[in-house]
Amino acid sequence: MPDFRALTYSPALPCPPARRRRRPGLIAGLGLVLLAAGCATATGQDQPTSRSVAGASAAASSTTAGDGYPVTVLDCGVSVTLNAPPQRILAIKSTSLELLLALGVGDRVIGSAFLDGPVPAEWAAAAAKVPVISDKAPAQEPVLELDPDLIVAGWESNLAADTAGTRQSLAAKGIASYVAPSACQGAHQPPKLTYPMVFDSFLEMGRLLGVPDRAAELVAEQTKLLGTVTKVPAGTTALWWSSGSTTPYVGAGVGAPQMVMDAVGLKNIAAGIPQTWTSLGWEPIIEANPDVIVLVDASWNPAAKKIAALESNPATARMDAVVKHRFVTIPFPASEAGVRSVQAAVEIRTQLRALGIG
Amino acid sequence: MALTRPATRPAQVDGRAAGPRRRAAMASGSVLLLAVALLMSITLAVTVGSADLSMIDVWRTVGAHLGWGASPLSPLRDGIVWDVRLTRVLTAGAVGAALAMSGAVMQALTRNQLADPYLLGLSSGASLGAVAVLMLGVPLLLPVAAFLGALLALVLTLLLARSLGPISPSRTILAGITVSALAAAFTSLLIFWNVTGDSYREILNWLLGSLAGADWGTSIIAWGAVLAIGVPLAAGGRVMDAFVFGDGAAASLGINVSAARWTLLGATALLTGIAVSVSGAIGFVGLVLPNAVRLVAGFRHRLVLPMAGLLGAVLMIWVDTGARTLFDPRELPVGILTAIVGAPLFALVLWRHRAQS
Repeated sequence: MPDFRALTYSPALPCPPARRRRRPGLIAGLGLVLLAAGCATATGQDQPTSRSVAGASAAASSTTAGDGYPVTVLDCGVSVTLNAPPQRILAIKSTSLELLLALGVGDRVIGSAFLDGPVPAEWAAAAAKVPVISDKAPAQEPVLELDPDLIVAGWESNLAADTAGTRQSLAAKGIASYVAPSACQGAHQPPKLTYPMVFDSFLEMGRLLGVPDRAAELVAEQTKLLGTVTKVPAGTTALWWSSGSTTPYVGAGVGAPQMVMDAVGLKNIAAGIPQTWTSLGWEPIIEANPDVIVLVDASWNPAAKKIAALESNPATARMDAVVKHRFVTIPFPASEAGVRSVQAAVEIRTQLRALGIG
Repeated sequence: MALTRPATRPAQVDGRAAGPRRRAAMASGSVLLLAVALLMSITLAVTVGSADLSMIDVWRTVGAHLGWGASPLSPLRDGIVWDVRLTRVLTAGAVGAALAMSGAVMQALTRNQLADPYLLGLSSGASLGAVAVLMLGVPLLLPVAAFLGALLALVLTLLLARSLGPISPSRTILAGITVSALAAAFTSLLIFWNVTGDSYREILNWLLGSLAGADWGTSIIAWGAVLAIGVPLAAGGRVMDAFVFGDGAAASLGINVSAARWTLLGATALLTGIAVSVSGAIGFVGLVLPNAVRLVAGFRHRLVLPMAGLLGAVLMIWVDTGARTLFDPRELPVGILTAIVGAPLFALVLWRHRAQS
């Protein structure tokens, strides 16, 4: 077992300024990578003191790189330290790109990958300037070729040996990585995701990027917007059908779907299952007979296809929601925790009102 | 070769040594017993599920659809019984029967007790055919594509096995594993290439095997295949008996060996392909059950085939009932359970062979 703590940033090592050249020569590039290796580090698992240490060092050293650096956060059990605002950011998955655009750092995003769908209109212009490097989860080599200094990933699986590389191996190459806390797996998975947790991750990202004020502003906007969402009549039940056809993959009790449904007062029929999403058989779904069905709309599994399936099977066609056509749709990128989670609640509430609910 | 069955075993083939009348009575008794077990399994399995329905209400609902009385349940719960549970139980039964019969035929024709649609690559080939239709939009009906995939895999396996020298069980298995790996690689490639977002979940069923997609359409297709292909196969059991003695013996009995072998193997590919097209690749059923049945029925295929089919149906119904209820309300792909149950049984089969040799 290698000791990854050996990679921890040593303050004696000078950090290079933000790189401007896209492709430095091979030797120079290697040198930069080696230098940078000391700057963005992910250390071994579980260092409970890293947050407080980071606070202390942030207060003690005011570097030329910018206010508040170095910044250290503990993310999915991995300690991430940045010594200067990242300038070459790679965003994997829509939730990552959208948060970066919402924080106004689109000009620092050098590439995006594995997007789940188009970004909302307000960020479309900024998103159009970001090159898409891969439709699927990118592998290590195209990622390294891009020479990013920070990778923001939507799923932990985006940062594995068979995708962009493990977080430790990236750190060894001087590339910092960040996974949305809502997507942490195992011991680091939030016991039950809440909006305050999602907002905290915006603030954390704001500190990492050197835009804490914009992050605070964003959280204030979203908190205000969330406050406008009214609840449906108590006891209105719902199924959140994300994907799958023969065995539906549905929003369960502790993830983003539950958080959004809680916000609008919908009672999730799979709330009792302590998972973020789960495979649910048709029988328990028909038995629960939800008042409303929330359909995740994705290019690979459109809401229209789900509705057609519900209507064509004689058993599901008799469910109240299908008979009364009480369907609510939500785009896939908004169905995962992120900067669109509040808007998801707003949209679902609006659609429910249009269906005559509350 | 330790795994080769002795080519001649007259006592077990015609049963003369044990007394023909007693053996025949025992045999028909076993078939009858299994048929009753199948009916009981369908009747009982349909009452098990995550929805809280009483046994009597379930039976009255099924009765109402068959023309006796009225359903005591709401239309919604009526749908759970008639359209969800019953179709799933029926499809499971047919798939189990098809796989077990396919295994029995293949074991006889290849004189290899370890042959089965899964090990010889048919299931993987059928999965590849089905996934090609789903992913690439190849304009074929799903069962047809699965059949062509199974047939292609079978031909490749047998050609490869033959090219290695005289066909032996171990060569056939090795060839089957090779073809199976190749087909699985192409299936994975198609999936990897086409999957976006989290749609891989849809495809997992093809690799692991699942009966969650059952409806009346799959029930009819699967039972249609079992009746239209399985019954004639069982009726032609004597041809397979002849193969047990070797090709020479079969030829001396007036059988056109080559034509008979390819007709029977083609029928198996069709049966396997149709089963896989409704359930994905489910392992071990075709391997283990015919071997279990032979403990009782010997090598008389007029008995082995119906018994293997019935036992396969019963077993698959109960394993699938486990898949849909063990982690209620969550679903488990049934192939995981058949492997957990089947692999130790397979080990037992291997171990018996070792003990005999």
